[in-house]
Amino acid sequence: MAAKDSPLKQFEIIPYSKTEVGNYDISFTNSSLSMVITVVVITLFLTLTVNPRSLVPTRMQLISELMYNFIAQLLSDTVGDNGKKYFPFVFSIFMFVLIGNMVGMVPYQFTFTSHIIVTFALASVVFIGVTILGFVNHGIKFFTFFYIPGVPFYMHPLLIPIEVISYLSRPISLSVRLFANMLAGHTLLKVFAGFVVAMPFFTGALPLVFIVALTGLEILIAFLQAYVFAILTCLYINDAYHLH
Amino acid sequence: MPQLNPEFFVSQLFWLVVTFSFLLIFLWRISLPRIGNVLKKRERKINEDLAAAKELQLEAEKIQESIENQLKQARSDASELIKNSSTALQDKVQVELTKIDKELDIKINQSSEQIEKSKNESLSKIQDQINEITKLTLSKISSFDVSEDEIKSAIKSSERSIN
Repeated sequence: MAAKDSPLKQFEIIPYSKTEVGNYDISFTNSSLSMVITVVVITLFLTLTVNPRSLVPTRMQLISELMYNFIAQLLSDTVGDNGKKYFPFVFSIFMFVLIGNMVGMVPYQFTFTSHIIVTFALASVVFIGVTILGFVNHGIKFFTFFYIPGVPFYMHPLLIPIEVISYLSRPISLSVRLFANMLAGHTLLKVFAGFVVAMPFFTGALPLVFIVALTGLEILIAFLQAYVFAILTCLYINDAYHLH
Repeated sequence: MPQLNPEFFVSQLFWLVVTFSFLLIFLWRISLPRIGNVLKKRERKINEDLAAAKELQLEAEKIQESIENQLKQARSDASELIKNSSTALQDKVQVELTKIDKELDIKINQSSEQIEKSKNESLSKIQDQINEITKLTLSKISSFDVSEDEIKSAIKSSERSIN
């Protein structure tokens, strides 16, 4: 299979213009365009649908309010009252990932969440932020997070390294989960699309049916992964407040 | 795999920071407070309406209670009034009746006295006339000159024999 027909070709980054600052290449690319579109869609939707003077919401405003309440509820369920000040951050993460995934579902649109560097950067922000928060709240006692109470003492030499590793692997698991899901989904769609073209006569309709079904599944996954990203962020924030 | 090509890592990180920071600040400062205010305003309005409804209901209950009290009061007043006026009327009737009875008694007494008097009068007149007639008759049929005392005693004796 030639490189230009590869199912992974959709993930290639195409720069629209060459921009360099110092030694760093910060060209505006199709990935950057997707991010800009995502941010514009979110900000415009959440601003234009909401009429601050309305007592009874319109249907569009109801969607914005549902999103707001959804994340507010999620945050208060997992973190409690402490979580209120992180609401804008969790909401932004959720909307950025969700709409980024959804923009990626539009044909010919680039999916920036399918790039490990992007998801890892987002996960790192969460990880570093939560770690700082833990040290701010508990100081040096934050290290007791790795010490599990109620376990026989001879188990600790085994458990503490496991806990440390699992803590340090949080940004990796968080980013790889989103990246792998988007990568696999879009690759699968492309593979089936290749079958539609390659199959003889009308048998190509069969993979087409699969594509339609998989598109539905992908939209579900797009939402689900954004939700998982948000809920794990909430849980990590909660851990920074309540050590075990 | 294009994801592992570090050529555009810096560009992607740069644009991620730019777009995500913009999104975070915009939502934090503008969009989320707007939605939050709308929700808060609606909740406050609903609570206010509920409180007002409760207050109005209490007021309505109070008004109903006062209406019932007034009705009760009016009923008892009316029955009292009826009772009072009927007893007053009865008393008045009684008084009138006794007055009339007294007056009638007086009148009856007076009349019976009158009757007695006139009867006695007429009786005495009849006596005189009888005496006169007897005297006249005696003078016509005889020539006796009889004194009046004799006539009277004669008549009295004859009356005694009649009776």
